[in-house]
Amino acid sequence: MNKDAVMSRRLVILSILALAMVVAPSVTSLPSGISGVKDTGCNCHGTAASDSVTASISGLPESYNASTTYAVTVSFTGGPGDEGNANVGGFNLWASGGSFATVDSSTQLMGASEATHTVEGNDQRSWTLEWTSPDSGDDVAFVLHANSVNGNEGDSGSSGDMWNKAEATVLGFGPPPPPEVDPFKVLATLIVVSAVLLSIVVLYVFYRNNPDGFEWEKFAPWITEWLTSTDHKKIGTLYFVQGLFFLGVGGIMAMMIRVQLSSPGNDFIGQDYYNQFFTLHGTTMIFLAAMPLIAGFANWIVPLQIGAADLVFPRLNALSFWLQPVAALLIFTGVFSGGGADTGWTGYAPYVVTETAHAGVSMWAAGQIMLVASSTLTGINFLTTIAVARAEGMGWFQMPLFTWSILIANLMLFLSIPAFGVGLIQVFLDRTIGTAFYDVAAGGDPLLWSHLFWYFGHPEVYVVIVPAFGVISEVIATSARRSIFGYKSMVYAMAGIGLVSFIVYGHHMFTSGMSPTLRFVTMLTTMLVAVPTGIKVFNWLKTMHGGSLVYRTHTLWTLGFLVTFTLGGISGMFFPSMGMDVHLHETYFVVAHFHYVLVGGTVFGFYAAIYYWYPKMTGRMLDERLGVLHFLTGFISYNALFWPMHRLGVVGMIRRTHTYYITTDDFQALPEWAADWNMLISISAFLFFASNLFLVANMIKTLVRGEKAPADPWGGWSFEWMCSSPPPTPSFDPHNLPVLTDANEHVANEPGRWGKWFQRLMVADDAAEEGSH
Amino acid sequence: MAGVTPLYDALWEDYILWSVFVAAIAFGWLYHHSYFYRSDDGESPNVDNIEVGVFPREYDNLRLEVTWTVLPFILIVWLTYISWAPLDAVWSQTGDDGFHGGECAEGESSENYIDDDGYVRSTCYHEIGIAGQQWFWDFDCMELSEDLCSTDFAIVEGETKPLLNLKAGETYLAILTSLDVTHAVKNPGFGMMEDVVPGYELNLWMPATEETSFLMLCAEFCGDNHAYMTAQITVNG
Repeated sequence: MNKDAVMSRRLVILSILALAMVVAPSVTSLPSGISGVKDTGCNCHGTAASDSVTASISGLPESYNASTTYAVTVSFTGGPGDEGNANVGGFNLWASGGSFATVDSSTQLMGASEATHTVEGNDQRSWTLEWTSPDSGDDVAFVLHANSVNGNEGDSGSSGDMWNKAEATVLGFGPPPPPEVDPFKVLATLIVVSAVLLSIVVLYVFYRNNPDGFEWEKFAPWITEWLTSTDHKKIGTLYFVQGLFFLGVGGIMAMMIRVQLSSPGNDFIGQDYYNQFFTLHGTTMIFLAAMPLIAGFANWIVPLQIGAADLVFPRLNALSFWLQPVAALLIFTGVFSGGGADTGWTGYAPYVVTETAHAGVSMWAAGQIMLVASSTLTGINFLTTIAVARAEGMGWFQMPLFTWSILIANLMLFLSIPAFGVGLIQVFLDRTIGTAFYDVAAGGDPLLWSHLFWYFGHPEVYVVIVPAFGVISEVIATSARRSIFGYKSMVYAMAGIGLVSFIVYGHHMFTSGMSPTLRFVTMLTTMLVAVPTGIKVFNWLKTMHGGSLVYRTHTLWTLGFLVTFTLGGISGMFFPSMGMDVHLHETYFVVAHFHYVLVGGTVFGFYAAIYYWYPKMTGRMLDERLGVLHFLTGFISYNALFWPMHRLGVVGMIRRTHTYYITTDDFQALPEWAADWNMLISISAFLFFASNLFLVANMIKTLVRGEKAPADPWGGWSFEWMCSSPPPTPSFDPHNLPVLTDANEHVANEPGRWGKWFQRLMVADDAAEEGSH
Repeated sequence: MAGVTPLYDALWEDYILWSVFVAAIAFGWLYHHSYFYRSDDGESPNVDNIEVGVFPREYDNLRLEVTWTVLPFILIVWLTYISWAPLDAVWSQTGDDGFHGGECAEGESSENYIDDDGYVRSTCYHEIGIAGQQWFWDFDCMELSEDLCSTDFAIVEGETKPLLNLKAGETYLAILTSLDVTHAVKNPGFGMMEDVVPGYELNLWMPATEETSFLMLCAEFCGDNHAYMTAQITVNG
């Protein structure tokens, strides 16, 4: 039936109705039924509704499903309508949605969503009809008018009749649920979009530099150069881009985690995806963001600082890098092979080898084995380069502190990562060919994994922070226009941290049934970390003394680092103390602590490094105003993000769960304000994420049209400020390498006793070798 | 404060005091120097005559450096010292040398109390068993009488979870076992946790000093329903 027909029919019905109302007193009950009375009521049966009639609708659901048919019964009680009357009653039922259908001849339709009685139905007190729900999902209102009729004929027709009204609402199901979205598809889409945007930017920059460059003859060598280069600067840039890219990916995952945690019992991504996201967030941030960023700066700056033309094994260096993106692909491939790894970055055995863990754990382990290989090769390369390729005049104790920090970090990494590699290979074999290293039933020992992992894992977190120490030492000295205070104690302190890092890992296993004696020893050694770290902080502070601090963006990040890293260091002192550790272990206090040292330490340190060395790397000065904006927004939102986590940890909110429990009448759990604080943290997380877009915008903007950078914009002393910005290739003429002079005459370019011993250790035939370079 | 034991409170206050002390020195110093020694014109006098390609003039002071090596060292020795006794208390040995004596004979009560230093001391303890399995806890009262230990079920956010009824004034030693992967018993109400490692039998003290009821959680990631691996512990009067 088309619309016009319905409309015209309605008009006809309405005019009949109007006529009926005019002649109302003369009718007893309207045999044809009543219509259009939704708002006015049945004034043909009395002017006002009467309490003595009770109308009711039954058979309606509380909320309906789309396009489902329900049997609806309308009825009334009370009033004069009684068996034996000429007429008993009538009704009008109106609905705001859906459609009615008749089931017998006692009812009729007045349009799709209005029904009334028929002549036959005039003698009844209840009527049944069918209502088919709409699929809009909106709430549907029903209005029923029922008349109770005394059936008297003649002039007094409807006198004495009574009517009443009943209303009902059937809840809808809301808008139809959107199709299920896989959070990983969202993540993948974001990554693809970022990659497309990034390549557009790269192509645009390329175009700006050389508008004719898109001719194949010019483009092919350019892209081939990037893909096959062994130049330390190009590889450094590749590492740097990879690091920033995965910092973004890890950040997006953190945002999803924070949305999930913004309120208790949230089901934004749910437990399955939450578990994968926090695992991949940790793995990505440590191995695919922090480590490549460090390797990027190490590649760029170390050869420049020691006055070498390149690293001594350039091809090995290229291999180290190209293992990284492949490893990243493997780690994320797990997502498509039956679910990404859901073990936490620590991957505790035996869960990591059980069938309840996702199949993607195998890929995750495989990818990390490649990263172990990459890190080992990087370690060999840097240790060798720093040992043999220093410029003339540069003894061990004339090396810039950033180079020292890379040396110590790589030494730590080189000595610790094999243990991790062994553990990963065991896990991989357990999962793929059925060995039983971690099968408890077959005598496997779950604590073996904990030992192997943390023997690597604890030095690893220092591997990530020590290069930041190097950056801060460089930046603070240059910004304060002073020599670094206590150069040698800085080196010893870093070496001390490197040494201590190997004997403290037990504190990660405090609650794994350690012997009390060992617990005490680990408590003491863990506390010992504070001593060399304290030396470094106090030396940095003393460096500023008597200087003249120039405030640039990198200076701001350095001062920000000093604040956050000191706070992170102080909160770290709470864990070795047993009485507190058993309370704080695995809570958000730990999360707050390590984000204070890893973000407030490493990331802030590397932000300082970006602002400090970006002019050297690209030949363009970064925009200081955008930089200050980045620092202010970043620093404030960062603290609002991680500081409240301390308190959540103290009241017992535990890590690695996608939901949390608020105290009820029955049991104690988290206080009620914990939910609000989590919301605050989530909001701050988004602000912190957004603040970093200032950095990205700054880098792209200045790359396209930035002020040209001089060779030494900040007034540093080390060799990287000697060559032009950006440096030529090879960075220094191999036949005319720079020579370091020393402002301190008494040192006379001679390494000290320990330096000589160490040098002999690193290079068997030092005199002959040094001469030939 | 919810879920904080007296033992934890005592240490916490000491540590906060020292943290504030250290932070005040570091930040006071930082803010003073970064304000007082700032460069006014942005163009700065080159204090140490830094120039490119020349290793800068040495700037150090052995006395100062030794000072801030030795003083922090003394501080950490002190902090280790004050954490030593809590170490013994948290993982107290059983028997006469420990804080909780030997196992109670039938009908004997622990009569535990908190001493002046915030340590729980008892005359004897009762053994119970806690087994972890993906993803629920299983309590075992062993041979204890109904009033000392009983198990039941509680409703936590609409789901049925195990409930362990303990008695105030009694000290329990839980024997932790796992049937599959590593879990961890986190008892915020007692301020204690310990891993539940398959193939090992670890112990956890549960000193029930006062009436309380709290949620026990799993604190070591163990798979899909890890967050829902909860139980309720009620300490009755």
